[in-house]
Amino acid sequence: MVLLELFWSFVKIGFTSFGGLSMIPLITSEVLSHGWMTASEVSDIVAIAEMTPGPLGLNCATFAGIHAAGVPGAIMANLGVLSPTLTLGAVAAVFFEHVKNNKYMEHILVGVRPACLGMIVGVMGTLLTNYLNTAGGVSLPAVAIGVLDLVLLVKVRLAVPAVIGISAALGLLCFGVLGLG
Amino acid sequence: MKRGKALATLFLEFFQFGCFTFGGGWSIVAQMQRLYVEKKHTITGEELLDITSVGRSLPGTMIGNVAMLYGNHVAGLAGGVVCLFAMVLPPFVVLTVLTFCYTAVRDNPWVVAAMTGVRAAIVPIMASAALPLAKGAFRYPPCILVAALSFGLYLIWNVSCVLLVVMGIAAGLVICEYYERKGKGGENHGAA
Repeated sequence: MVLLELFWSFVKIGFTSFGGLSMIPLITSEVLSHGWMTASEVSDIVAIAEMTPGPLGLNCATFAGIHAAGVPGAIMANLGVLSPTLTLGAVAAVFFEHVKNNKYMEHILVGVRPACLGMIVGVMGTLLTNYLNTAGGVSLPAVAIGVLDLVLLVKVRLAVPAVIGISAALGLLCFGVLGLG
Repeated sequence: MKRGKALATLFLEFFQFGCFTFGGGWSIVAQMQRLYVEKKHTITGEELLDITSVGRSLPGTMIGNVAMLYGNHVAGLAGGVVCLFAMVLPPFVVLTVLTFCYTAVRDNPWVVAAMTGVRAAIVPIMASAALPLAKGAFRYPPCILVAALSFGLYLIWNVSCVLLVVMGIAAGLVICEYYERKGKGGENHGAA
């Protein structure tokens, strides 16, 4: 039952993610192991999610859900990502005064943050396949675009959607017009 | 009747927030600050800060949690659920349309060329987003070990992310407990 599988996968993703990027490692392993998306589609969805409104986790849920089982799949995947908010979040809202000053919540994050960071760097490792060409060799234009993007993001402090736009234009030029690989 | 109107207002307000949440959840907190703290005075700035920090510590999407907490604060649990779904609706619709467009054009050679360029941007984007995360991630020295361990276990041994997060939770509790006791035991060492 693909709808239930989607829901359960995104429940796991929701409950083990603490903000933004920390969802990407689990999303990657869940959608790849179920065959709902390929590694390059994961990169595409991160790009699309960064350029559209809404949190990354929800946008990935919609994208992967539609790929796996159409709009009903997207709804189930979204509900999965929202499940911690609908359960833990609702409890925290009702008992807000008690939760507000709970030191253990802060303590948990002290360990979760570095763990997520380690996983994110790990995912970046797996996404290095983006720099290979169809023949399996290193694609020099892709590496050049990546290095340029890093400079634009970190040094020039250009916004992410602008960097994605520039990369798309360079991709058209290098791989479309010039036919590099 | 009055309650229904309050919920409808919340729905419209969070629907608008949902249309403009680009790149992370901080833009919505800024919008809430302007509307609720400065204009309508439904909460104080300090309360919004509390809501934000609790929303960030809970699992799931931060702004979803913030919407739930704020909605409950002004209109009970029903308010929380209304805020949550109102905010989620716009990105859901946008992404649904985009996904169908993407599927329709993805095999076009020009789209393939452009997307090859875009894919080259993903690792740098993640790296630049991970940098600020790295600043807050190493409060105590053992946190470095946690990060290294989770990296190795994930990439080399394919350990599931769920397990790694649980490991992180346990490590966080142990590390903080240790440094708290150490801090109390010998003030001279000045741990934390």
